[in-house]
Amino acid sequence: MNRKGAFARYLNRSGWLFVTPALVLFGVFMLYPILSSLYLVTRKWRGMTDSFVGLGNFVRMAQDNQFWHALGNNFLLMILQVPLMVILALVLAVVLNQGIRRGRGLLRLMFFLPAVTSLVAYSILFRILLQTNGMLNNLMLSLGVIQQPIGWLNDPFWATITMVIALTWRWTGYNMIFFLVGLQNIDPEIYEAAEVDGASKITVFFKITLPLLVPVILFSAVTSTSGTLQLFDEPNILTNGGGPANATMTAALYIYRQAFVTNSDFGYATAMSYVIVLIAGILAIVQIRLLGDRK
Amino acid sequence: MKRTLSFVMTVALLLSTAALGFAAPSKVTVWCWDPNFNGASMKAAAAVYNKTHTDVTIEIVDIPQQIEAKIEAGLQAGGKGLPDIALFQDFIIEKFVQNYPKAFVDLKAAGIDYSQFAAYKVGPMTAGNSVYGVPFDTGSTGLWLRADYIKAAGLNPDSYMKSMKWSEVIKLGETVKAKTGKPLITYQSDNFDMLRILVQSTGGQFFKPDGSLNLRSDAFKKSLAAFKEMNDKGMLYLAEGWSNWIDSINNDQAAGFLNAIWMVGTIKSKPENKGKWMVVPTPLIDVAGAKAASNNGGSSWYVFNSAPNKAGAIDFLKSVWASKDPAALSFYNDILKGQGAMGTYMPSRAGSNYTVKDDFFYKNQAVFADFSKWMEQVPVLKYTPNYSAMRDAVANATLKYFQGKIASIDDAIAAAETEYKEVMGN
Repeated sequence: MNRKGAFARYLNRSGWLFVTPALVLFGVFMLYPILSSLYLVTRKWRGMTDSFVGLGNFVRMAQDNQFWHALGNNFLLMILQVPLMVILALVLAVVLNQGIRRGRGLLRLMFFLPAVTSLVAYSILFRILLQTNGMLNNLMLSLGVIQQPIGWLNDPFWATITMVIALTWRWTGYNMIFFLVGLQNIDPEIYEAAEVDGASKITVFFKITLPLLVPVILFSAVTSTSGTLQLFDEPNILTNGGGPANATMTAALYIYRQAFVTNSDFGYATAMSYVIVLIAGILAIVQIRLLGDRK
Repeated sequence: MKRTLSFVMTVALLLSTAALGFAAPSKVTVWCWDPNFNGASMKAAAAVYNKTHTDVTIEIVDIPQQIEAKIEAGLQAGGKGLPDIALFQDFIIEKFVQNYPKAFVDLKAAGIDYSQFAAYKVGPMTAGNSVYGVPFDTGSTGLWLRADYIKAAGLNPDSYMKSMKWSEVIKLGETVKAKTGKPLITYQSDNFDMLRILVQSTGGQFFKPDGSLNLRSDAFKKSLAAFKEMNDKGMLYLAEGWSNWIDSINNDQAAGFLNAIWMVGTIKSKPENKGKWMVVPTPLIDVAGAKAASNNGGSSWYVFNSAPNKAGAIDFLKSVWASKDPAALSFYNDILKGQGAMGTYMPSRAGSNYTVKDDFFYKNQAVFADFSKWMEQVPVLKYTPNYSAMRDAVANATLKYFQGKIASIDDAIAAAETEYKEVMGN
């Protein structure tokens, strides 16, 4: 009786009806592309002309320093930007949560607003602000901070800094919100107890706030890391195609360019996407492990 | 009951969407990217066509960003969502013709007489016996100079209104920079156009006849050397991207630039420019066979085989863009004046605007007559399907060389060759 019931569960017609739309969408937009990518990855696919190359695309990838350089840029940006942003978001969250009383809502809104700005719009805006004769250079020149305009977008070193600044501006507020929620979930009684025991504010921060926020910090760090891995809009627009001279080229942009700009090579672009998926998958496993342990 | 109803409604909705796609056969859709230039020219062409074909609607759609990627996606989908006619840059079309062999209509077979178009425009759109496009504009180049800054530097602009060697131009640039503080030439730092103009003026090609890379030529090395000398002497203003470059021209950041005829519209868009600009022939690189002429840009119209209104599109292009009909010829004359768009249909060059003096320029220079004269000397260019990859690799190596990250011309060439090879995967 029981077993029959369990089996009937799978034949429940209205149940199937309810999930059909989701299944169809999943099939068309997820399953079919994934399966066809298995075919695509073995082809040299230039537009409407294609030929079988087996693992040739992966061999080509191994020799393509442009791709590894682009992937290296992803990791460079990760190392420079993610810690900076997480620390900044944490400090802002703590200050907004406990430090100040007036204008708290307004400040929160101000810091969060960049996160709802369109990626394209802010990239264009930063581009205009940072060009050689842009506002930032002109301001610093007139204040005497610098003698020569800085090549924010022309010089490889400064272009990387530009990316870090832009990404930090765009995403800090977004991560700050997670920290604010995390802070509000900490039981006030713990703080009261610490106060009674005579702990200083700094001790409270390092011994209570920080340890209790670790899951949120991890979450924020891991999502930011995988976000950096998929970086596309900023190098495409802000530094105009990963410029100067590929200094800010990212893997996702390189994949796009192989498919839609230089070669129409969808097979090779698919092969590179597989590598990105693999890395993102590893990061996801790390995330689950780290967060799971805390529970 | 409800399910039946919703099913019927869905089907009805799908059918009506499909109907929209196939309805109105008397409509021709065109994609291009500059409403003030090629879009406006197409609009003028549509007006001419509509005088005799009142029932045809020609819809011109502006695709300002990444039109090629959009077309690429449409071609991958078997032509879904594509227009009847699209404008392609001349340097990119060979890639599309190679990668999508059946995508475009053979317009030679459709009866267009290509002997009437400038030969250098027809080359890239030809594959075997088929010719796929209708040539639009020329990218005939010149060196654009600010006469007022030359005067301010204590020199007489008139004595520079001639064909010069780059060594003379560099000397001029040094004087202008020393006296007025303005770099002589503004160019886009991430862009290939300037080097392209230099190399092409020598008659040199970026590719060998067999399609392999040809950067180790004397012409390329001397062009890059001249460019580097200008960079080292502070004669170049580095603009980031297109709009910043346009700003630098119209906001007096530099005393000139090296580019094509289609910049006329930009210069004229600022009334204060009146009387300040003059255009001299593309300066000469010191190599045998070099000419005081080059080409940059230029694009052509193509009809998709998947076009909903293929016949209408072909007829439209044929009867306005490739016809000796007086109305068609006067249309070419009109877009030259109105949009600064110089067609490459040879019979149209008898038009009055081709010789008229232009009071917007310094000493009423007849700029169109000059560009048209220079155009005759532009050699046939070899683009190949791999032009974009070459362009980016060379532009990247050039920038690194200018910034001292690459030590010599030979190293710069090697770097460009390596990047090209890796991006192409062969």
